[in-house]
Amino acid sequence: MISNLFLMNGYGIFVWSSFVLTFLACAIVYYKTRKTLKKYEKEFAKEIENLSVNQKKIVLEKSKVASKVFSTYNKTI
Amino acid sequence: MFNLFNNTNIFIWIEKLINFINSIFFVLLLIALSFALIFSPPDYLQGDSVRIMYVHVPAAWIGLASFSCIALLSIFNFIFKIKNFTLITKSIAPIGLMFTCLAIVTGSIWGQPTWGTFWAWDARITSMVILALFYLMYIATHKLIVEREKANKISSIIACLGLINIPIIKYSVEWWNTLHQPASINITGTSTIHSSMLTPLLLMFFVLILYCALIFLMKYKTEIIRIKRKNLKRYD
Repeated sequence: MISNLFLMNGYGIFVWSSFVLTFLACAIVYYKTRKTLKKYEKEFAKEIENLSVNQKKIVLEKSKVASKVFSTYNKTI
Repeated sequence: MFNLFNNTNIFIWIEKLINFINSIFFVLLLIALSFALIFSPPDYLQGDSVRIMYVHVPAAWIGLASFSCIALLSIFNFIFKIKNFTLITKSIAPIGLMFTCLAIVTGSIWGQPTWGTFWAWDARITSMVILALFYLMYIATHKLIVEREKANKISSIIACLGLINIPIIKYSVEWWNTLHQPASINITGTSTIHSSMLTPLLLMFFVLILYCALIFLMKYKTEIIRIKRKNLKRYD
């Protein structure tokens, strides 16, 4: 049964290469997108960290996005 | 209502949606793959090579739908000038390009056992290649032109021009003699595909749509952070 699944009556090479290629491309794009997102989050959190105490307070109070990213980043480190 | 388009509200929803999709994605993927590779029957003419359809067709649908979406949002952006639409189209374009390329490549692999060749300058295949070129031009415009307003205008024109290609792709199999078979699934009329093959096809489509949503949300979140970072520089 397993050999049938792999060979697929001679069409296995075409079927499996299509599926592998599709999911490999999807995995690479997912990995790259996630990596870019994490990089931006990290840099954004660091930039907030580098602000003076007053500026940081204003930014975190005014921007929900900033406070969310900042808190998430601080949780992960 | 316009509060919904507020980046802060969108950002919070994006986080929730990403977590939700991540939690259900792999289970659905396993179910869809089991149906596509094990439970669905081979075709009476094409044999097991028909299973390529389960990645080829959803990829082509997503490629077409993404570009239609980009073009329509670009037109709306021309009229209503909603900034978020540019962010959305910029986030959709790479996903659309990837799936268009996957549709071309998997179609080419499917062509070998069914037509006896990997490639033919057939109307459907050629129009799909043109679609991929439109995607490339759209992405390149945003990458190469620094002035944002100008980049938005040019990319919108590219999207509107590319929209003409969408009905050409759809009807190419009817307007010209092509190697590519006519559509088996018809939303308005009767479909010629058996339910035992339609189920895995729709399942795979749903899983890939979820994947697209995941990538789109992550890209959109990145764009929001990029904008917020620019705003942060005002405090320096």
